[in-house]
Amino acid sequence: MLSIFDGLREVTLASVMVRLFLAVLCGGLIGLEREYKRRPAGFRTHILICLGAAMTTMTSQYLYLNLHFYTDMTRMGAQVVAGIGFIGAGTIIVTGRQRVKGLTTAAGLWAAAIAGLALGGGFYEGGLCVTVFVLAAELVFSRLEYWLLEKSPEINLYLEYSSRETIDRVLDLCHERGVKALHMEIARHTSGDKHNACAIFTLRLHKKCKIEMLLPVVAAADGVVSVKEL
Amino acid sequence: MEYFAGLRELNMGSLIFRLVLAMCTGGLIGLERGRKRRPAGFRTYMLVSLGAAMTILLGQYESVMLSTRWTAVVDAIGQRTDISRIGAQVINGIGFLGAGTILVTGRQQVTGLTTAAGLWASACVGLAVGAGFYEAVFLAFGLIFVCMRILPFIENILIENGRFINVYMEFEAVEQMGSILHWIKEQDMQILEIDVERARGAQTSYPNAVLSLRLNHKQQHTQVLAALADLDGVCKMDEI
Repeated sequence: MLSIFDGLREVTLASVMVRLFLAVLCGGLIGLEREYKRRPAGFRTHILICLGAAMTTMTSQYLYLNLHFYTDMTRMGAQVVAGIGFIGAGTIIVTGRQRVKGLTTAAGLWAAAIAGLALGGGFYEGGLCVTVFVLAAELVFSRLEYWLLEKSPEINLYLEYSSRETIDRVLDLCHERGVKALHMEIARHTSGDKHNACAIFTLRLHKKCKIEMLLPVVAAADGVVSVKEL
Repeated sequence: MEYFAGLRELNMGSLIFRLVLAMCTGGLIGLERGRKRRPAGFRTYMLVSLGAAMTILLGQYESVMLSTRWTAVVDAIGQRTDISRIGAQVINGIGFLGAGTILVTGRQQVTGLTTAAGLWASACVGLAVGAGFYEAVFLAFGLIFVCMRILPFIENILIENGRFINVYMEFEAVEQMGSILHWIKEQDMQILEIDVERARGAQTSYPNAVLSLRLNHKQQHTQVLAALADLDGVCKMDEI
């Protein structure tokens, strides 16, 4: 462990100030990135969570080390871990289109609370390292994630067509190329003479069949009105 | 076991090594989920794994301090700290977080369970990383990765070749249900379970039904669905 923090391991006025200040700083840094991306839990939320978490470990150390109560130093801090799980779950929302959003924010909030626990407990090296790694995950790896999503082999295809045979034809086209239809959803107008329907497919592509090759073939099939990648 | 001898103790080197290892294992587990466009991408897994490792490290730190700098207090009033207590709450806390990813759609379909389970498993791996239990980490990580990577293929094969199929349908009127059920019976399919719901206001403007079917002879699911969608009065159709 680093010796520069040795003077701050006990609970004294100086160490309390340093710990709380570092908690605000680390929480703020993590929150700043979230705020910049306009996520629900921003700057102040992260500061408050990090500060609160630091208070719990510090208070229980104070009870044991300074007031000499026969108590467990980790009991209060432990509850933070579960408690912030709750708050995090609240940031997760389900949109109308059955998508889950806000999970990374929830995980980030939780990690900020853990950094706060470490800083409050006087484990400065751990708290600072976690902050650095969380920031690295948010800043560096978010790009990697977007890049991976673009390369994802599963795509959603939206198709408008005019007759029943079309859908069989499209499925055959996919089948010939070894593309698997994982999921399919059909909606149609029942009034009127025309079949007028749309379908959403989830397809799994493979290396030899890229979406650029599949789209024109499907679009050219008889009865296909329009086709789009979602 | 000797390989990691220097990294068993808590020091600056092992601290950084463990945190980086937690991020790597979490990230790699998450990579597979991210590839499938699931909500919890690999950043989420990374953060959860990192946090979990940190809780155990914090517990270890406090126990190190108790046995070195704070021995006077320990001698005077006795020691009651449990180094695993903070880490133990991770299991709980990430359970909650995972619950947020599970959702029940309007079609009586539950999704996000695998994401929640994977998140929870990567938190548990993070705990082992934090404790410096490297052997178990590598083994568990390998198994989880295989589970995420290879088992979906088996699952897909089972589903595709399976004879059981669940279908969500919306019709124009409940009266049409009869003819649809009749048609299904004619097609050499067995209806195992049926759950009809009438139209009720803005949420579901059409009556809908969830059917559990068993195909008596082998058929492609997509073919069955396309045929069902073509029936009179069906306006929406989805395999669930």
